Amino acid sequence: MNDLCVQFDGVSKRYKHFSLESIDLQLATGAVMGFIGANGAGKSTTIRILMGLVHQDEGAVQVLGHPMPADQAAAKLDIGFVSEDMRLYGAATLAWHMAFLRPIYPRWDQAYADSLLLRFDLKPEQKIKGLSHGQRVKAALLLALARRPRLLVLDEPTTGLDPVARVEVLEELMAVLADEDRTILFSSHNTKDVEQISDRITFIDRGRIIDCDDKESFLDRWRRLRLVLPPDGVVPRLPDIVQVGGSGRLPVLTTNRFEPAMVSVCNDMGATVQAVDTMTLEEIFVANVHSRRERLTA
Amino acid sequence: MHSDIVISQTDSRPMYLQIMEQVKQRVAVGDWAAGEEIPSIRQLAVALRVSVITVKRAYLELEREGVILTQQGKGSIVTPDPNLGPRLYHEELSEHLDEVARLGNLLGLSEEEIARRTKEATSRLTESRLAKEIA
Amino acid sequence: MNYAMVRSLIFKDWYFQRKAILLSLAGGLASLGIVIFGGNVGFYIGLIFLITIMIAIGATLVMGTLVGERENQTLAFVMSLPVSYREYSTAKILGNLLIFVPFWFTLVAGSVALIVAAPTIHGLFAFTVIMAVEILTSTCLMIAVALVTESKGWTISAMMVGNLGINVVGYIVAHVPGIKDGMFGTVIQWRPAATISLAIEFALIALFIVGAFYIQSRKKDFL
Repeated sequence: MNDLCVQFDGVSKRYKHFSLESIDLQLATGAVMGFIGANGAGKSTTIRILMGLVHQDEGAVQVLGHPMPADQAAAKLDIGFVSEDMRLYGAATLAWHMAFLRPIYPRWDQAYADSLLLRFDLKPEQKIKGLSHGQRVKAALLLALARRPRLLVLDEPTTGLDPVARVEVLEELMAVLADEDRTILFSSHNTKDVEQISDRITFIDRGRIIDCDDKESFLDRWRRLRLVLPPDGVVPRLPDIVQVGGSGRLPVLTTNRFEPAMVSVCNDMGATVQAVDTMTLEEIFVANVHSRRERLTA
Repeated sequence: MHSDIVISQTDSRPMYLQIMEQVKQRVAVGDWAAGEEIPSIRQLAVALRVSVITVKRAYLELEREGVILTQQGKGSIVTPDPNLGPRLYHEELSEHLDEVARLGNLLGLSEEEIARRTKEATSRLTESRLAKEIA
Repeated sequence: MNYAMVRSLIFKDWYFQRKAILLSLAGGLASLGIVIFGGNVGFYIGLIFLITIMIAIGATLVMGTLVGERENQTLAFVMSLPVSYREYSTAKILGNLLIFVPFWFTLVAGSVALIVAAPTIHGLFAFTVIMAVEILTSTCLMIAVALVTESKGWTISAMMVGNLGINVVGYIVAHVPGIKDGMFGTVIQWRPAATISLAIEFALIALFIVGAFYIQSRKKDFL
């Protein structure tokens, strides 16, 4: 049985000013994948290809066992999709949207939808155009969640939300996962959210996937080594150093494959290791992108 | 959703370590008794709003340290060892004492110096306790 | 093809255009009344009203249901539903035609009935039928262009081409031998030229609809 919820094999899409190249992606059922990338890196394009809204030029896409875009109607029956540039019908109410979607999705759970109305503090009889941005995001999320989808695809779900709303949304997203067969893929600028709830993280930059690994692996592998060099000391040359920062006698080495042995190697080379800092996901991402771009221009 | 365990956002240590520490504290204090069932990995992940993989890692480490036991398909329990609570405190004490020794060494203190400083610390603690009782 | 989904989409579109549809319905009935009971003057005025309302509802529906989705950014919401281009295109085409055709048919039937009932204008029969179908053809062009381009600019251009087409076709048809002679006569006649004209028009309608469907199937970017 295919345990993969989403699979991309060598997917490419070419536009005039931007192209997505050789995207390979695997998302296991029951996992949460966070997608991190700068603006224009290709997150939205990848997600649209996943949803069958954009057809790839090359490569195979499988979602919930359905080839995309060929079988998109069947796949979308089990998918809840919310994206930044998606709008609901302003002239209609939230109640209208719920009534519209209910007969379409066999697993629609009105009781759950009602509880979400309370939780998100939304009034069903209010017209969508009268809602604030945060309320609109929560409304769209409610409509996606109430259909009890097997896969949730979210493009920037917490962007523009106040801190309280953000926590509400994260809680509801995590609640989805109480069921082992449900999967979440979300892209976000908010690396803290991604860091918190993702099992797996994919970095995308300029149309290419530059790294993909378990979150815990990322947090384990990346370290900043703060060194103190002796007066005429030289920065020690070590493998797997992706960046050298700091200056003079206080260099800072960034590594993406930390081993405790590195500390003793540095000390042996005469450089005292003052501290070994962990890095947040945001720092890891930025370092990853910078080092890659430096390598490309070098 | 409220949880027995609370994760701090400003704590810069890895999340799985925070979870481990809090689980150990609950066990040491006796809130989670020996042999008692604890939330499943998924339940705790949902309650803490933390990824499943992080909780899984914490549980694996806790199992390795003998604090909890995970039964296949049945969830996890606190290790049914009556000495577990005190043992965890003893382990924590050892860790701190090792740190004392390391720092003392770094400062170039002799063994007697380090021992004297330790005795001063326990005396201070006793004095402040007495002061509270009087007041 | 998921017909339940197509129905949902059609009803959704009609819901959002309900004011325009209901107003046109009311206006259409009123105009019909004027035509039937308004005597000679009423006949012409009512007819003009009917034509105007028919053109208006056609354009409003096309703009609202086709160009509107892209302008209001609701396209992503619709396409995230369990549909493919098939259901979407079918729903849009049917949603528009199911409203427009009854109006159009009423107008045609009414006009034809009047021609048949009044011997002095019997000769106009062939011309009227051909022009009526021409209006339908031009509307189908508008729907097809709007569906494929989702652009206000292109759709308006299609409307203008359609209007021009009606006038041009009207002129041509009025000068075609098989139709010209007898147009102002008092005999209802139907010559091969008329059949050919109709055939061309229906072929165009099929071309526009099928062509639009085909182009939709080849689209690689739905957003």
